[in-house]
Amino acid sequence: MNRKVFVAGLAVTLPLVGLMLVSLGRDPHKVESPLLGRKAPPFSLRPIGGGEPVTLASLRGKTVVVNFWATWCVPCVDEHPVLTAAPQRYGSDVVFLGVVYEDEEPNVQSFLREHGAAYPSLVDEGGKVSIAYGIYGVPETYFIAPDGTIVSKYVGPLRPDLLDGFVQEAQARAVTRRSDAR
Amino acid sequence: MKRTAVLLALLLAPLAAAQTPPDHTPVDLAHAESIAGPPRAARLAGAALEAEAKHIAAVLRCPVCQGLSVGDSPSAMATNMRQQIRELVAAGFDEDQILSYFEASYGEFVRLQPPLRGVNWLVWIAPGLGLLLGLGVVSWVLRGASAETSETPAAVAATGPAVDVVPDPLPDDPALAKAVLRVRELAYGWPGGVRPGKD
Amino acid sequence: MTASLGRALILLALLAASAGALVGFAAGVRRSAAGLAWAQRLAYAYAAAMVSANLLMVYALLARDFSVGYVAQVGSREVPNWVAVTSLWSSLEGSILFWGLMLGLYVLGATWTNRHRHPESMPWAIGVWLACAAFFSFLIAGPAQPFHTVPIPPSDGPGPNPLLQNHVLMIIHPPFLYAGYVGMTIPFGMAAAALLSGRLGPDFMRSLRTWLMLPWVFLTCAIVLGGWWAYEVLGWGGYWAWDPVENASLLPWLTATAAVHSAILVERKGILKGWTVTLILASYLLTVLGTFMTRSGVFNSVHSFTQSAIGPTILVFLALATLFAVAILALRIDRLSPEGHLEPGVSRDMAFLLNNLFFVLLTFTVLIGTVFPLVVEAVRGVQMSVGRPYFDRMVVPIGVALLFLLGVGPALPWGRASAEQARRALLPPLGGAVVLAALGLALGVRNPWTLVALLFGGYAAFVTFSELWLPVGQRIKVRGEGMLEAVAHVQSRGRRRVAAFIVHGGMVLVMIAIATSSTQGVTVEAQLVRGESVALGPYTLTFLGVDRVSEPHREALVANVEVKKGGRDLGVLTPRMNYYATQREPVGTPAVRSTYAHDLYLSVLNLDAQGQTLGLHAMINPMIVWIWIATGIMGLGGLFGLLPSRRIAVALAPAMAVDGSLSPARSR
Repeated sequence: MNRKVFVAGLAVTLPLVGLMLVSLGRDPHKVESPLLGRKAPPFSLRPIGGGEPVTLASLRGKTVVVNFWATWCVPCVDEHPVLTAAPQRYGSDVVFLGVVYEDEEPNVQSFLREHGAAYPSLVDEGGKVSIAYGIYGVPETYFIAPDGTIVSKYVGPLRPDLLDGFVQEAQARAVTRRSDAR
Repeated sequence: MKRTAVLLALLLAPLAAAQTPPDHTPVDLAHAESIAGPPRAARLAGAALEAEAKHIAAVLRCPVCQGLSVGDSPSAMATNMRQQIRELVAAGFDEDQILSYFEASYGEFVRLQPPLRGVNWLVWIAPGLGLLLGLGVVSWVLRGASAETSETPAAVAATGPAVDVVPDPLPDDPALAKAVLRVRELAYGWPGGVRPGKD
Repeated sequence: MTASLGRALILLALLAASAGALVGFAAGVRRSAAGLAWAQRLAYAYAAAMVSANLLMVYALLARDFSVGYVAQVGSREVPNWVAVTSLWSSLEGSILFWGLMLGLYVLGATWTNRHRHPESMPWAIGVWLACAAFFSFLIAGPAQPFHTVPIPPSDGPGPNPLLQNHVLMIIHPPFLYAGYVGMTIPFGMAAAALLSGRLGPDFMRSLRTWLMLPWVFLTCAIVLGGWWAYEVLGWGGYWAWDPVENASLLPWLTATAAVHSAILVERKGILKGWTVTLILASYLLTVLGTFMTRSGVFNSVHSFTQSAIGPTILVFLALATLFAVAILALRIDRLSPEGHLEPGVSRDMAFLLNNLFFVLLTFTVLIGTVFPLVVEAVRGVQMSVGRPYFDRMVVPIGVALLFLLGVGPALPWGRASAEQARRALLPPLGGAVVLAALGLALGVRNPWTLVALLFGGYAAFVTFSELWLPVGQRIKVRGEGMLEAVAHVQSRGRRRVAAFIVHGGMVLVMIAIATSSTQGVTVEAQLVRGESVALGPYTLTFLGVDRVSEPHREALVANVEVKKGGRDLGVLTPRMNYYATQREPVGTPAVRSTYAHDLYLSVLNLDAQGQTLGLHAMINPMIVWIWIATGIMGLGGLFGLLPSRRIAVALAPAMAVDGSLSPARSR
């Protein structure tokens, strides 16, 4: 038995195998957003079909849900009914915004005509806002608290229960802030 | 240094915001400044701008691709990011600032070249350490070998093919002998076909 | 029915492999000839069962028998028969079955060719092969079962992943890769056998080296075919992105290449036995690691299969195989006693040693860069990347050092050389170095790394060419033979040596082409309105318009770009954008026009549906074709060296030529 070889062999191989074991459940596509807990990047974007630009800063005091989507993305189409049904459930304290990611305006318009729209979808010229929000793909949805901080980000198609959870989380943050101040 | 930059950014942010008109540039410079601080480098244009932008695009990961850099990727996202890099370089942001601007939205993942922080330095020094270790092992093995050979000088002659106690024989026919020497030279690398050290 | 038969065949394979492994080990312990014979029979039985199972699957794919699980998953009535056959390896479960086929063929070949040889080592070797085979049979029988019965067979299936139908290289590449990966099982078993039997003589080493070279050739081709696929399909104009899965295929190649070289020291001098065995064991373990990396979903990669239960199972196997390798190394390495000495000094021996050092260093660097994001995630909980800029910076110097050795090593004599001898050997090739570097400078190369690569490459090319030419020239001069006759004689007598230098020549060419193509390219990006042109180097590219194409599995917009060079019309190139129903982003297919000097490479950045504007990415990539050609040279050279060689004693055993007799075997 050559002890040196044994120890050296294990020293080289064990950490490697151990590392693979630790990483086994890892999802390489899930990258934690560094924006969580930070001030939401500001934007001022024109809605699809024209109208006054929507500015994030003007929505201070409200919970904002920003959904990045595109018509060519199948999961986005899947979650569309969930999102269009949502605004009337929450009332005016929660504002929903869509940001169109790499899509042609006519496509979006005809899609919205066909499937209905309950809130403005915004044109993101040059991907400016998509980049500022660190979009890795669509759909991705950000939840912004009334004080303008990003509370959570969800990657993938939303379900009603998930949506409720995230919105409540964003609203709760405002409540704790207020009680802190008191 | 970093803290003062942040402080400066906080002080300047409202000013900058007030000055910017409703912009049509592909990047929100005020937002970039609030993240990376005021531009630290010279404003570039023309070929110098393109070179710097290309250099930065090569070390940024295209977020919607698989392991490609922003510079290499043909995707629309990467095209947009390249445009932003150009604008930022033109506005006088340096490489470090531009990288931290993108890092603020995408995380450290977006840097293809690990920054020196935390355990990251390991990946930079590991190959050097490996080289030192390897050279150490090789010289140790060689020292062992030379110690052995110097102990038994006869062993030097005995290395190589096992039958070497007989001096390398040659056929009597001079032409054939010459050919054998040539072939030995080629096969063994012995100069002139004669075993080195067999004087 | 077909499904049950398939499952039965897999079980038979599992049974034969498990029993054969036990019999082999028992025969190794007892040195029993009868045991060896039984182990051989069980190895044949395993191979037969695996080959039959694969044939059955091919039959089911061709018959569109959707009652077989895998056929229901990847088969389709729509696709042509050749696609149906190749979908055997297009998806996870099938690829593991295909793995079994490869292993069966390898075990069959290695057992058969060595059936009368090395009786003290072969039982162990067969035991280890069949133990590995048993694991993969278990994987097929359990987690990756492709033969499960579909109770209510669908009338049609979805067909293979449309992305894989993008290019014919995607169909050729996997068999090469598996032939390379799986083939490493054979040298692994033989190296383990050398340890377990405590003997590694030159004879067994020669067999071992033969069976190491065969998968090496396949792996070499597979790596480059993968790069070629990326180049022709992914549209970014490069062939290597240091993607984790690309790295995974490179790692075993690096250690195997090191082993191919150190094996020469084992054969010639009887030294570095334990080290060579370690390299071979590591090569196999790295293929298993690579398999895990591709199939576990742990890594972010273009080439990954989806996540499945197969990952954890392979990890268990990796852990067991690693433990086995470390244990037998520790227990037996001291038995492989050296029969000679390593002599310090400027010599070919030293070059071999440094070659091994740099190959292992390269393996270490690539490995650490590849897994480092996992380390950081475990330690800091942060996702980070180690990408191309890192690898380029780290790997290029090591690669250049290896290119240096590729020239200097073969130029140096064996053993201890005097300063005079060294000078005589090393000076002339400098001519080649200077010529190539000057040529590079004249053609506008300014990048210092590229110039150094040209310098060392020219040196190595000179050495390689003279090593190949000198014996031929000698025969022509001394024996008055004709050119062809001399070549025929030289290649038949020192075939392995000739083959080695052919491979070296290919490698030199690959490295020169890589160095040139990665630094000397020209790129232009332009937004073109229909009818507009852009200039790139000597070319003028004009956007003519867009065709809309409908194919069964995709829609495509095809841009027509007219290429002119100095007023001469070179035809129309058609880079395209493909739209898949199942795919989020459109996938571009570039158009490439290759010449021996450079490739003109066009890819679509964006394209509006009306065909009015085209975002075009155009590149001139120098010398790319030579990478593919030189790899072909390396592969053919390697295979050539594996042909049985008729060695005659004069050249290689001086002591035997005592009385001028050329046939020692007869004279004894």
